Amino acid sequence: MFRFVNRWLGLDEDALTGGEVLGINMRNALIQKYNPRHAIERARDKVAAKRALEAAGISCTGTVAVLEDHQQVADFKPSRDMPDAWAIKPARGSQGDGILLAVRREGNTWYKGSGAPLPEDMVMHHIQKVVDGGFSGDSAAEDAALIEPLIIADPALSRIVPEGLPDLRVISLHHTPLMAMVRLPTIESDGKANLHQRAIGAGIDMETGKITRAVVKGTPITHHPDTGVNLIGFEIPGWKRVLELASKCGPAVGLGYCGADIVLDVNDGPLVIEVNAHPGIEIQNICQAGLKSRIAATGEDFR
Amino acid sequence: MIARVGQIWANATPQVRRPFYIGLAVAAVLAVLVGLGVANTETFLALPSTFEGVAASQAIWGLKPSNLLMVLPLGAFLVVLARSFIGLKAFGLFTPMLIALAFLQIGPVLGPVVLCSSVLAGMIVTPTLLKLRMTRVGFLGVLISLIVLVLVGLQQALDTQLQVDAFPVIVCALCVERWWKQWGKDGAKPAAKMALNTFVLALMIEFVMVSDFAMALIEWSPLLMPATTGIAIAILGRYRGLRLSEIGRFAPIWLERRRRAKALAAEALVLPEGVEEDRRKGLPDTRRVPEPVPEPLPEPFPEPLIPPLRLPRRAAYRKPQLAPLHQSHGMVLAAMAGRQRALRGIWVIGSAEELKRRGSPLPAAAPDSEPRARPRLAASGGRAVADWADERAPTRNAWVIRGVEDI
Repeated sequence: MFRFVNRWLGLDEDALTGGEVLGINMRNALIQKYNPRHAIERARDKVAAKRALEAAGISCTGTVAVLEDHQQVADFKPSRDMPDAWAIKPARGSQGDGILLAVRREGNTWYKGSGAPLPEDMVMHHIQKVVDGGFSGDSAAEDAALIEPLIIADPALSRIVPEGLPDLRVISLHHTPLMAMVRLPTIESDGKANLHQRAIGAGIDMETGKITRAVVKGTPITHHPDTGVNLIGFEIPGWKRVLELASKCGPAVGLGYCGADIVLDVNDGPLVIEVNAHPGIEIQNICQAGLKSRIAATGEDFR
Repeated sequence: MIARVGQIWANATPQVRRPFYIGLAVAAVLAVLVGLGVANTETFLALPSTFEGVAASQAIWGLKPSNLLMVLPLGAFLVVLARSFIGLKAFGLFTPMLIALAFLQIGPVLGPVVLCSSVLAGMIVTPTLLKLRMTRVGFLGVLISLIVLVLVGLQQALDTQLQVDAFPVIVCALCVERWWKQWGKDGAKPAAKMALNTFVLALMIEFVMVSDFAMALIEWSPLLMPATTGIAIAILGRYRGLRLSEIGRFAPIWLERRRRAKALAAEALVLPEGVEEDRRKGLPDTRRVPEPVPEPLPEPFPEPLIPPLRLPRRAAYRKPQLAPLHQSHGMVLAAMAGRQRALRGIWVIGSAEELKRRGSPLPAAAPDSEPRARPRLAASGGRAVADWADERAPTRNAWVIRGVEDI
């Protein structure tokens, strides 16, 4: 009787009959099973996650400064402390809210990628707003501002996109990377690597690091619509290193099932930008493969 | 058509079939219960003043106001079903259940009318309110007063006995807030879809709550309803299979794989050159082969936007002009000192003495995670930063030397 009910509820499945696609219910169950509360909190806070990753010897994006309270903000002087190109991020922001990028500097004025000037007091105002928790949802009263040097993408990757920074998403269970995709910005997505805003998602073969399939909003494509470069068969440079980083990320933060966001820097190669405790399952549609069968292959029993 | 559906069904894996069966069963049960609830409704359009002081829920469905609490677990159960089996996305976890309760208090048609009008008024005013840059509490406060204003207006216009109390007001305000958040996050269309989902779900819950089944359970024993639904939720809440909506979402994975397999099979059937018919099985195929229609040439692929790489023409070799350096030139001095290695790589030279002293090229920067500019603040708890500060030798002034001119 229990076996019967459990089978229909999807609780008692083996690798052969359990199907291959990971649904949101099963994903939530995996997160509940393997991602403890404190680890999720750590992953949500970019500064805490970065500290944990660096302690584990994982190469992350660099840090210029972390401003955690108003005292530190008052001591901070952009013209003295900031490099020529940087990114300001709220530690607990979500979906890229509150991220400010500067690409070059002239005197005490920086310029955004779009060419709009950013004078020093505007930068200070933005930092102030981040520390006030203006980008961190309504739950956090205060937040930390994380200032990083701007990442310049590997030329091999940046020549296939018109603008913006492509990033890799690798989903892994414990030490095993399961599935990977690269998100390529388009002009339509305004340089953002966000699949909802019509960026390209491209599935990567785990063994060779080559793109097997590219999708924009559910329609498969073969060439980048803006640059015309053929995407299928494109090999991600430094793929071995990407896999190595991805397999270390989850254990370093304390997460069992996680998605690592990795960028390819022009100088330093693959660097981790963020670790996600609730990675989405849309990657299955992009890679045209099921996550569940791959999880089952690692020996997971889904109980 | 039916044969096609049958074929798809035969190819479906258990992973697809099971949620489908469960979804069908859930839908059937829900349809029966909603039908019972609708049949149980005495009147749809009566105004509350005709009920002679009896609460709307009792006059219309025979549900005592004191029993309104009893049907709440049933609403929760339906929300669980809709979320984890069907995959309906609604505002908040239990908002549909609360809306359904508000409908029960006001009436089957009047409830949606009252609620929709006040939520709509809130939605229209919200953009202006957001421009005032209030805190969340302030925003909700203004919203509540506005919704009360609309509700009181409706009460005056429709019927003074209309029962709108604190409960529907809060539900309305929460709905408006959720709507705006969703709009800001996903855009108008998904938000509108979600609002519609919420509304339909609330209507369904409303009618299931007043169906004969629920009434009988409540009348049997007040404990029966919470206990039954509690156990049912505990069993069904563990569901981990696919949601009904996910079958549609991931259908491309199964479909495209089948299409590819079919294409491969078709390719295998193509005969090798020189062979005119396939005699491998059965009788020779004697059908007339239609004259091949010349296919229009495929459109040439649009030129890539990146111009092809053009190599610069190599310039004729010219002998470099060597100019002797002056005796007091730094390089000459250094060379005469005989301890200077050839310039290679990047050198950091702080002063003239360092130029004479044998320096060493900077070690190539390892791909590390250290900050590239030293943080000048006791940031991030202080410790890590303090360590950095100790490790790094203070560099005074770095000159990057690439050629003789730079010196």
